[in-house]
Amino acid sequence: MSDAVSPTPRLSRALALGAYLLSGLLIAWYLVTMWLMVHPQVSADYRAYYIDQTTTCMNQPVSGAYQFGTLVSFLPDGRDLQKTIRVCGWEGPAGDGMHAVGTSARLRFNPMERPASMALMLSMIAIRRDGVPAQTVSVSLDGEKLADLDVGSGAPSTFKLPIPAGVAVKPGPIEVLLDFPTAQQMGPTDPRTRWRSIKLQSAGLVAN
Amino acid sequence: MTVAMASPSARAVPLSLRLFGIALGFAVLGLVLRYLAFAVTVKDASILTFAEGMCRWDCGWYVRLAETGYDPFPVPTMINAGNWAFFPLFPLLIGALRFVTGLPTMPLASAVSVALSIGASMLAYPLLGRNIRAFTLFAAFLLCGPFSIYFTTFYTEVLFLFLTLAVFAALGQKRFLLAGLLAAALSATRIVGVFIVFAILVEVWRAHRAGGGTWRTFIPATLRRPDLVLAFALAPLGLFAYLTYLHLSIGDALAFNHVQRAWGRPLGLPPVFVWNALNAWPQSGFLPSSSQVSGLVTVIGYGLIGVMFWQRRFAMAIYSLICLTLPLFAGMASIVRFNAGLAPMILTLTELLARRSWLFWLALLLLAIGTCFGAVGWLTGYLALV
Repeated sequence: MSDAVSPTPRLSRALALGAYLLSGLLIAWYLVTMWLMVHPQVSADYRAYYIDQTTTCMNQPVSGAYQFGTLVSFLPDGRDLQKTIRVCGWEGPAGDGMHAVGTSARLRFNPMERPASMALMLSMIAIRRDGVPAQTVSVSLDGEKLADLDVGSGAPSTFKLPIPAGVAVKPGPIEVLLDFPTAQQMGPTDPRTRWRSIKLQSAGLVAN
Repeated sequence: MTVAMASPSARAVPLSLRLFGIALGFAVLGLVLRYLAFAVTVKDASILTFAEGMCRWDCGWYVRLAETGYDPFPVPTMINAGNWAFFPLFPLLIGALRFVTGLPTMPLASAVSVALSIGASMLAYPLLGRNIRAFTLFAAFLLCGPFSIYFTTFYTEVLFLFLTLAVFAALGQKRFLLAGLLAAALSATRIVGVFIVFAILVEVWRAHRAGGGTWRTFIPATLRRPDLVLAFALAPLGLFAYLTYLHLSIGDALAFNHVQRAWGRPLGLPPVFVWNALNAWPQSGFLPSSSQVSGLVTVIGYGLIGVMFWQRRFAMAIYSLICLTLPLFAGMASIVRFNAGLAPMILTLTELLARRSWLFWLALLLLAIGTCFGAVGWLTGYLALV
């Protein structure tokens, strides 16, 4: 009885040995690569967004360049000024504001001028959805919670939130995190990165 | 005379030349028909803007890949969707040719795509049982059909299809080592290409059985054949090369998979997605919605896989089953394109349509008409085609 796969193309001993050796090397390489697959060497931001999926907002390295006192429009007319302060979690602008997408969004302000007493201005409107008259927006600055805001869908709401002195005078950019605990899944198959909550109409830092 | 019967003058022309002539004829006809669709759909259309004008949706990503390579992290344009999701071989090939020739990307990519489609048709001929009617339909499907946009612009489907046919042609001749080498290229073209290894396995098993081998002797007999061992080891080479590159450049070998999150693709069960698609009725009119078209094409795809099983083409059937089902876990997006680019599907479909003369001519006519509709749908953003 034949136990061969099929009539074998006769290889010389050296060629056969070479083929086995090459196969072994390839398999070793694949094993190393598989080890690398489960041991990525990436930044915390990358890991949080792409791998662990603990955030829907991928921290992008925008500069935060910003003129203190300016209220930046997040309507289509403010595209140029938005660029340097919108970090992630925003899509648009649409006609009446910039859609927040996902369960959080970030802004970054790095003004040259920094009075000790300043406030964060936010103008927002909630998305319209039956049975969901309002959205909650949790605002944090540099990792410290500042306020929970109720944003209605009927008309834009404007908030002036005093910034703690410690945050205002410290060097480096001011990181604003907006969490949307009541964000809505709009379609049955929409992933969390597509959930909707509010539209931002303007944002800025002003004297308090 | 029918297409299947050759006249004495036709016999004087070498077969390969006749086949080439047929494919070339469809390439020219398809080009003319797509251009007409382009001219009536796009404002200020001209020959000079034709190649770029047909480049829609993912094509733009491939152009950028060929011209500037893969994104670093963070992506310079500060978007989450890095271009790591796109497998490298075809854009790499076009990028290299662009570097050598200095030609602009889209005309070059279109010309290479047409050449690969003609080549794929030639490779398909023996796999179609040397049936010239089936060959004619196959060539028309690629070069002058509603889905010819995928095979004549800048999409990875054309190389994927070409290499798939090359692997099956090599397997048909029991040239397993060559099949392994081609599979390595296939696995660098699209992620599902790596599953061609199962087709190789099936064919090795069949050869083993034909030689009187049994289940018990299969693995020892295979291991005694260095060419087979090397073929299996080579098959995923393209994929692993890309994984290594991603680890070295991004730090994450699975970046191609992880980045899918940025596209907002849902995750779910294929039957649920297909059922939902089939039930997505249009809001007005009688024409099926684009979701329904995607659902219908998927059902036809599974039907064709059933035919492959029935015809005992197990290697093709298993490979197609994996290639069709895996993407469905991420929804129906691009599923028409994935079906159209699966070589065994087109082989089976064209064989079936070539069985009757009247069906052959009808299919040919519909393909030609479909070229215009496909191109117009493509240019006007018909979502099922994306």
